[in-house]
Amino acid sequence: MSGDDNTARFERIVQPHLGDAYALARWITGDRADAEDVVQEACLRAFRAIGGFAGGNTRAWILTIVRNTAYTWLARNRNAVVTAVDDLTAAENSNAAQAATFAGGRYDANPEAELIAKADAAKLEAAITALPPQFRDTFVLRDVQGLDYREIAAVTEVPVGTVMSRLARARQRLIAAIAADDR
Amino acid sequence: MTGPTTDTHDHDDRTVLLVHAYVDGELDPANAIALEQRMASEPALAAERARVEALRRALRERLPRETEPPGLRAKVQRAVGLTRPRTQPTWMTMAASLALAIFASSTGTWYAMQPPAGGGVPDAVIAGHLRALMAPQPADVASSDRHTVKPWFSGRIPLAPRVVDLVQDGFPLVGGRVDVVNRTPVPSLVYSRRQHLISLTAVPNVSADSPTSQTVQGYNMIAWTAEGMTYWAVSDLNLEELQLFARLFRAAPS
Repeated sequence: MSGDDNTARFERIVQPHLGDAYALARWITGDRADAEDVVQEACLRAFRAIGGFAGGNTRAWILTIVRNTAYTWLARNRNAVVTAVDDLTAAENSNAAQAATFAGGRYDANPEAELIAKADAAKLEAAITALPPQFRDTFVLRDVQGLDYREIAAVTEVPVGTVMSRLARARQRLIAAIAADDR
Repeated sequence: MTGPTTDTHDHDDRTVLLVHAYVDGELDPANAIALEQRMASEPALAAERARVEALRRALRERLPRETEPPGLRAKVQRAVGLTRPRTQPTWMTMAASLALAIFASSTGTWYAMQPPAGGGVPDAVIAGHLRALMAPQPADVASSDRHTVKPWFSGRIPLAPRVVDLVQDGFPLVGGRVDVVNRTPVPSLVYSRRQHLISLTAVPNVSADSPTSQTVQGYNMIAWTAEGMTYWAVSDLNLEELQLFARLFRAAPS
């Protein structure tokens, strides 16, 4: 029976990634209870679509569904209109940070690196939460969840080049925010 | 990029991306060696590398890992209607699955003997109720929470039924299942009253104007039409209480 096949496929393909699914939903919604709702809804979508899953990277597949579900959920439940961050504008904004980068000191005497190394969990979490959504997704997928660039490109549905620039911008913003906090 | 950006800036911008990719282990060996040489001679690039590495180290060492909440797996399994027990089988669950297997083989025969489409909706509804009473559990999704039961249906049938909470009135929700009436999958809700179970099956596009009640094979049935569906409540509960259930269900806000 195809129902049994789908059940077995769901257990094999989706269930191992529930932890990752929940973590991503938590970062996007910023709330644990909301994240559980999003994961349930995403799993239902995944279950319906599982017959058509052509194989490949199962984690990227489920995280793509979770991310899309989370944004739909936010739009529906919080009237949050997620505006696409214009990456070029963001790049312009980061020029200041960029300038600081190139004025930076030597590798072995880098005051910002020392400040960052001392940042505590609350500060890190607040800085990540404050990132614009597209930057935050890319950053969380890479530096918190450990996906590689190709996986992140698949999940966020953008080219690898965009992943690279978003990731660099996200990190530079975090570094600037953490360093500014300590001044 | 807009404004007076120069080629030099673009070049530097791209190099910064390469530094990040280097830290992430995403560069091929040739590019990695070339970049290492540049970082050795350009302090700004080396500084960027140090900051990214410091950030990654801080995250790894101090950002708490988000772990999956304990009940999530069970909730997801309920949401997709996957309630297979994950524990070691006991003699009771083995006996139950044996009974289910025997029953499933006899159900096949029963469906083959079902009357043709169009006839016998009450019979089909009663059959669904009987089958549920004989099964190890009367509902495929067992939950007293209507917010769990309703979404479970949306994955299986085109139209999820109205699910209302009647626990205050002494009719707690037991769960839901999918029955087959006129060869069409239809939603059935299961409520309970003391030790009696009530199946409430919603069949689309079948007319029954005002609530009608009848007794079929010793079971009481009440039917009414609402929202383009005919609702059939069936139970071995006495007719008065079943009528009370029907009134409460129809009056309840969804």
